[in-house]
Order: sequence, then structure tokens, then C-alpha cells
Amino acid sequence: MMLSDWTLWLEWLIKSLVVTFGLLTGFAYLTWYERRALARIQARIGPNRAGPQGLLQPIADAIKLIFKEELVPAKADKTLFFWAPVITMIPSLIIAAVIPWGPAIEMFGRVIRLSIADLNVGVLYLMSIASIAVYGIVLAGWSSNNKYAMLGGLRSSAQMISYELALGLSFATSIILANSMRMLDIVEAQRNLWFVVVQPVGAVIFWIATLAEVNRAPFDMPEAEQELTAGYHAEYSGMKFALFFMAEYQKMIVVSAILATLYFGGYLGPFVDRFPWLGPIYMIIKIVILLFVMIWVRATWPRIRYDRLMAFGWKILLPLSLAIAFITATGILLADLSGNPLYFWAIPVVSVLAGLFTVAVIYRELRRKAYGRV
Amino acid sequence: MTATASTQTVDLVARFPGIVTAETRPGYSGFIVEKDKLVEVATAIRDEFGYDLLTAVTAVDYLPEGKMEVVYHAYKTTGGPGLVFRVQVPRVDPIEVPSLINVYPGADLQEREAWDLMGIRFTGHPDLRRILMWEGFEGHPLRKDWKEPFYEEDAKPFKSRWPEGRHVSAEDRNPYKDNLKFPENFDPEKWIPDNDNMLYQSLKRYTVKNENGLETDHIVVNMGPQHPSTHGVFRAAITLEGETIVGLKPVVGYLHRNHDKIGERNTFLQNMPYTDRLDYFNSMSNNLAYAITVEKLMGIPVAERAEYIRVIMAELSRIQNHLVFIGMLLNDLGAMYTPALYAFEERELILDVFEAVSGARMMCNYLRFGGVVRDIPPYVMQKIKDLVFDRLPAKTDEMDRLLTENEVLVARLKGVPVIDAENAIKYSVTGPVLRAAGVPYDIRRADPYSIYDRFDFDVAVRYNGDLYDNYLIRLDEIRQSLRILQQAVKQIPDGPINSQKPQYQVRVPAGEAYGRIESPKGELAFYVVSNGKPNPWRYHVRPASFVNITCLEKICIGAKIADFVALLGVLDIVMGELDR
Repeated sequence: MMLSDWTLWLEWLIKSLVVTFGLLTGFAYLTWYERRALARIQARIGPNRAGPQGLLQPIADAIKLIFKEELVPAKADKTLFFWAPVITMIPSLIIAAVIPWGPAIEMFGRVIRLSIADLNVGVLYLMSIASIAVYGIVLAGWSSNNKYAMLGGLRSSAQMISYELALGLSFATSIILANSMRMLDIVEAQRNLWFVVVQPVGAVIFWIATLAEVNRAPFDMPEAEQELTAGYHAEYSGMKFALFFMAEYQKMIVVSAILATLYFGGYLGPFVDRFPWLGPIYMIIKIVILLFVMIWVRATWPRIRYDRLMAFGWKILLPLSLAIAFITATGILLADLSGNPLYFWAIPVVSVLAGLFTVAVIYRELRRKAYGRV
Repeated sequence: MTATASTQTVDLVARFPGIVTAETRPGYSGFIVEKDKLVEVATAIRDEFGYDLLTAVTAVDYLPEGKMEVVYHAYKTTGGPGLVFRVQVPRVDPIEVPSLINVYPGADLQEREAWDLMGIRFTGHPDLRRILMWEGFEGHPLRKDWKEPFYEEDAKPFKSRWPEGRHVSAEDRNPYKDNLKFPENFDPEKWIPDNDNMLYQSLKRYTVKNENGLETDHIVVNMGPQHPSTHGVFRAAITLEGETIVGLKPVVGYLHRNHDKIGERNTFLQNMPYTDRLDYFNSMSNNLAYAITVEKLMGIPVAERAEYIRVIMAELSRIQNHLVFIGMLLNDLGAMYTPALYAFEERELILDVFEAVSGARMMCNYLRFGGVVRDIPPYVMQKIKDLVFDRLPAKTDEMDRLLTENEVLVARLKGVPVIDAENAIKYSVTGPVLRAAGVPYDIRRADPYSIYDRFDFDVAVRYNGDLYDNYLIRLDEIRQSLRILQQAVKQIPDGPINSQKPQYQVRVPAGEAYGRIESPKGELAFYVVSNGKPNPWRYHVRPASFVNITCLEKICIGAKIADFVALLGVLDIVMGELDR
């Protein structure tokens, strides 16, 4: 495989285009999906006018946003104001590069892997790219020269940094289980058993941390409508606003894909070996289910207060995820040393006990003590 | 009917001989206090006589007599009739009356309102700025010699419109033309509101600090008037340290339309639909308060069936208000409209009832002096029965089940203090907020009006005074309202729906009346002075929202910015009523 092989370049190009356009279309229809799902939960109908079942609604929205006037506040830092949405948008696209969408398939006489890049440190790549996005948000908040935007930007930087720790540790859990940082290996390691069975608490922590990472309810502090009007994107309009919007929804898709990969067996499913094309389909089904949970959470839960959110991240999620990583590593080590699989099965039991203990602590704290003003 | 029992229960004259005199004008009640001794007398009224809740402070311009009068209505939180005391001052500027803010802090915003609209300078008030009118405004609009733009006549119906019915532009007719007055050298392009400067000055004491040689600066954030969670055009200028509020000043008046002045131009009956526009969620309750006040003045009875209809409508109104309150509170907490939409579903059903009886869903204009305007048709009665016996109890339980134990909701609401009993009384807070602080003060029980004394219900009360109790008490009140409704629909008799003949013009004898009800948001009262003419001489609204936000500054300092939204939410303000 040489870099001068033009077919390889072509393959990369085609795969990149497919993933990019897939994400962009996915974003558009995710908005439709979210609006319809929210509407059903909220006892109303949702957009159903443009096209059958409102399926053309995203296109109408896109046209509207493209033709909208773009306002730049007079005292904004114009350069940063322009680049901030771009900096937010790009990571949400390129982060998808390492996600394996299926087993390798044979086409036109060559083996094609269904991921753009098969990095041996794929998980590290995810972590690093995910943390770039915060720059865009902070810069957007700062350059808008608006107090709400600034508060939103500051909130998001603090929030994302705090939750990245828990996120990283729950990455570590599945790395330990798979004994590799390569995404493809992690998926293949789940061929017999999804990691969510071995480490359910890790999956839950991952899920909570990603909600905070992509600023979704109930952790949507940076754009808390009721407090900060629109937070960091208060001053944005037209296509620049649309870029923030796209970034958020693409990140939703991508983190669902990552969660599916790390804990829910990625593209694996029945008959996927015989029919490799089933891989992407299983992946999409898993993503759609996970996305629905995100929408469900958004429709039903109020927002957590900002200081509680930080306290939750640092005082509960971080210790718990440390404990989970420790339990997993110890279990694997003991199982390897002694050869007794009982140690391996102690991992889920002890983890779930640790998780339940944490929930009990929170529950008791909420019921017993009236939180004063901090 | 006009004389309240206050003169009999309290002998202020004996306590303060020479300072306090009993009111002697026919149709009036209460005491007249010497201006200079007002603070002393008020302190005695509060401490010795136990009238700890000052509900209304307002002023009346007696232009023909050359007097200005400031009227105070005080009540006991243990119940019973109120005490009216007043100060009379000559109508020569500067009109000065001592401020009662140190005795009753709840007088704060109401005194500012009286200064703004009547030009009474309350000496000793620390922050006497205009509150409802804009800062460049000339004059004090509620004075009887103040003429508004396009002024035609003092009272409706205007001769230019009636009896020919031809429309003539007011601009062409009236001798004052548009009558707009501006301060000298006023240039709207360059104008910076004084009030804003003063406002920021009053917040300044919170700003710059020097901690360990570090200069720290607080930021001032204007929440509103355009803000998604200020329930309209409410504005609060907030000083923030990080996410904590260290200073706050409410700024109101963006929706001000001088309801009082327009009300004085109208005839008594013309005001009935106008009260709908106060608290536009509860037009039935507003109608009831106004009808009770004018009936007190007129001394007429209310038809028996109409009393029941009034109670049914007022309680339905309370239920839908509280449902929407819960929905909107959750919305303020960031719950993405779901609870609000569930609440609106029930509200629509109640509005269907309103529409069926009155013809309008929100602006009902349903009550008349002596009764109501139309009877309840049998099929609507059936609908009401279905609602109060089946649907609403089930849906209230559903709300309770879905929300009350939600972890995030508990984390957001529990233990976040709103106001304690002592401060709530001090700041004249009424309604659910007062009851959530542990004061079982409900006008339906404490000073019964209409036929509430016939029903068996409990006054909902909670004791912690935190956000969670403020949320729970709304559920309690919905359940109590349902109890009242269930009794009312069973007991409602047949008969006429109005004790009077239908009439366009009512004759109201001279006098004053203060009629108050327990509206869903607190005490809603009207203070009406008649001089025997077809139009009220003074028509004052004492809205619950406006008086309740007096405590906002007190309760928000030290809270987080996210809690500000919830704190404002539990005060349940509605700008139509607050700004009038």
C-alpha cells in the first residue's frame, strides 16, 4: 500500500465524501427526527407540512438559514467572530474519521475498510478532537461582545473540561477491556460480548459525560435559553448560526456512534459476517436508538443548575469513573493471573454495586439535606 | 355595606388624640392621620393593633377640595377586616408625605408608583424614582388636571363619538392637539435615560472590589426587557459575581398604559372588560374583584345562582392558572416545554368552558354588577362536572406523579429559599408565595367574600418557604379548588342570574370601596372612589404581581443566576397586571 497508489487516494476521497455528506444529511434529518419525536412526547404533532410527514422541512430550514441576513455586532471581534463557528464545525466532522462503520468489504477487486482512517490510537484521536470544539464556543462567546454570550462561553469551557476527565476514564475502561486503542479492535473484541454487559456503569458514565460534552439537555448550560437567552451563539444569525447548530447535531450523531462502538458492539450484529453490508445498517440502527434517548431526555428533564453540574462532574462522576476504571483493570488482571473467569464476572457486579451506591448517596443527599445557597 | 367594620374594632382616636381623627365623609371609613405623625401611628398600627400586612398604598387627587390623599389599607395576617388610614395634604407642590418604607417595606414600589403617577414625594424613601412612566416624562398623569395626548374630555362616552355615532378623529376635534410634552432640549437620538444612570448608580455599590490587592469587577447584566424567561417585558438589572447575584433592581413599566387613568375616563360598566386585560390568564378573577368592589359601593345584593357561577368560574380560573404556572416554572428550569404543553392541554378544556359561557376564551367580560351576563347552559354544566369530577383530579395527580419526585426538579427546587414568613409579611407578599412560607393567609377564609364561607375547604399551607414548597402549594391549591368546585356544582340553585335589570349605566353613590379577592397570584384588589357621577373618580388596581415583586431584590441577592429565573417564576408575575 503506497501513497502513490492513486486508487487509494480515490478510495479515501470517496469515503470522506460519503461520511461528510452522510453526517450533513444526518444532521438535517436529525433535526426533523428530534422535532417530530419531541412533538409526540409533548402531545402535539410537529412539522408535517413541508413534504410527506414534513420530510422536506430540513431543506426549507436550510434555505431559510442560507438566505437570512448575517448580522455582526458593531463591537465584535470580527475575525474571531467569523472563525468561531468554523472552529466548532470542523472537529465535529473530522472526529467521525476513525469510526468503523462495518467490517471490511470486497468491492472492485479490493478490500475496502469501512472507516476513513484506521488509526492504532483511534481513541486518543477522538479525545483530542473532541476537546478542540470548546475553543470555537469560547471564542464565539468572547468575540460577540455580549455578556450572555460570554457567560455561555465560560460555562461551556468549564463544563467541557470537567466532563472530559470522566469521559476519558470511561474511554479507558473499554480500552482496558479490548486491550487496544484501535477502534476496529475494540469492536472486534465485543464479538462475543458487548462491553455494556461487562461494564454497564462505564457506559452510563460515558453517556452522561457525552451529554455534557455536546451541551445537550439536561446539561445545556452554555446555551441555557431561560437564563442566557441563547448563550454563546446569542449574536449569531444566518449561516453562522446554522454552523453552530450543525456542529451540535453532528456531535450528537458522532458521540452516539462512538458510544455504539465502544460499548454496544459497533457494527456487530447477527449475520454481519456473511453480509458485511449489514454492518453500517446495524450501526445506524444503534445510533438512531441512542439519539432517541438523547431526545427523550431533553423532552422530559429540567436543566441542572450550573454549580450543581460542576459539583456532579467533579465530586460524583470523576470518582465513580476512577473507581470503575480501577475495578475493570483489577478484574482483568486477576482473571489473567489466576485464570479464573469468576474475577472477570466480578467486574459488572462490583461496578453495578458502586453505581448503585453512588445513586443512593445522591438520593439521600437530595432527600435529607436541603441544599443551601452555595 | 360601604362602612367596613374597622371603625368599630379599633379605636385609634383614643390612642392618638389630636393626631388621628375618624373619617366623617359619607361613604368613607377609617381614620385620618396627621401627616407628621404618620410613621408613629403606622408603627402603632403594626405593633400594637396587629395590622401587620400593608396591602395597598395609593393616592387620590381631590382636585375640587384642593387636597391630595394617600390611602393605606392594612390587614391582620390572622384574618379579619382591615384598617383604612389616610393622610390628607394640601394640593400644592411639593406634596410631601413621610414614607412608610421602614415600617412596612412592602410599601416600596407602591410609594414609587404614587410618586410617579400622582407626584407625591415620600420623604425618607431611599430610591424614589419613576417606576411605571418613562424617565423623560413630564408631569404626573393621574392628577386630575393632567391631560393626556389627544385628550378630548374628562369622561366617556365622548361627545364626539356619541350620540351620532360618526367617527371623528380625536386629533381634529380636541383643542389640545396631540398634547405631547417633552423636556426642554430633548433630542431622542442623544438621550440617555436618567433613570438608567440612576439605576446603575444604585447598583454601583456592588461593583468594584479590592481583594488581596486584586481588582475584581462585577458585571451588570440586564435580564430583560427582551428575555425568554422574564414572562413578558420585565427587566431586572443584575450585578453578578461569577454566577452569583450580588445586586438587583427590578425595572418595570414597559407595558404601562395607565390603566387607572383610562379607567377613570370610562364609565363603571366600561371598566368590566378592561379588567380582563390586567391578568390576562385570569379574566374571571379580575372581573370578580371589580364587581365585588363596585357592588360594595352600590350596596346591591348578588343573585344566588350568580354567586355560585362566579365561584365556579373563579376556581376554574385558579386551576388553569396554577397548571400553567407549574408548566412554565418547569419551562424556566429548562424542561423544554413538555410540562407546559401538558398543562396547556387542560387549560384549553377550561377555556372551552369560558368560551361557552362568555363567548371569549381569555377576555371573558363575564360578570356584571349584581350577577353575571349569561347563564350556564346545561351542556356546559355537564362539561364542568366532567372536568371537576373526573378529568382534572386525574390530570393533577398525573402532574404530581410525573414531576414531584423528579431528581433534577428536586435538586433545583428543594432548599433554595424564596422568602420566610416574617419577610413575606413585611414585604406585603400575598397569595401562594406567602402561604408557602407558612402563613395560612387566604382571603377566601381570612376575610371571606362572595360565598366562600359556605364551602368546605382547607387553606393550603407549606412551611419551608423554598422553591419546592412554592411548587407543591400550587398542586395543593388545585386540589382545594377542585373540592370547592365539586361542592359548588352540586349545590348550585336555579334562579335568576342577576339581581338587577340589564343596564348600560349604573348609578353608584358617592363613597369609596376597597374590594379584594384571593386571585391565583395573590391579593387582587380594586380601590374605587365615586363622586356620584357615571365615571369613577378614582379607579385603582392593586395587582398581586406588582406588590409581590417588591421582595424580588431581597430574595435574589445571594442566589445563582439560574435560580433568579426560578425565583421570578414562583412569584408568578404577569406583565399585563404588573405594568397596568
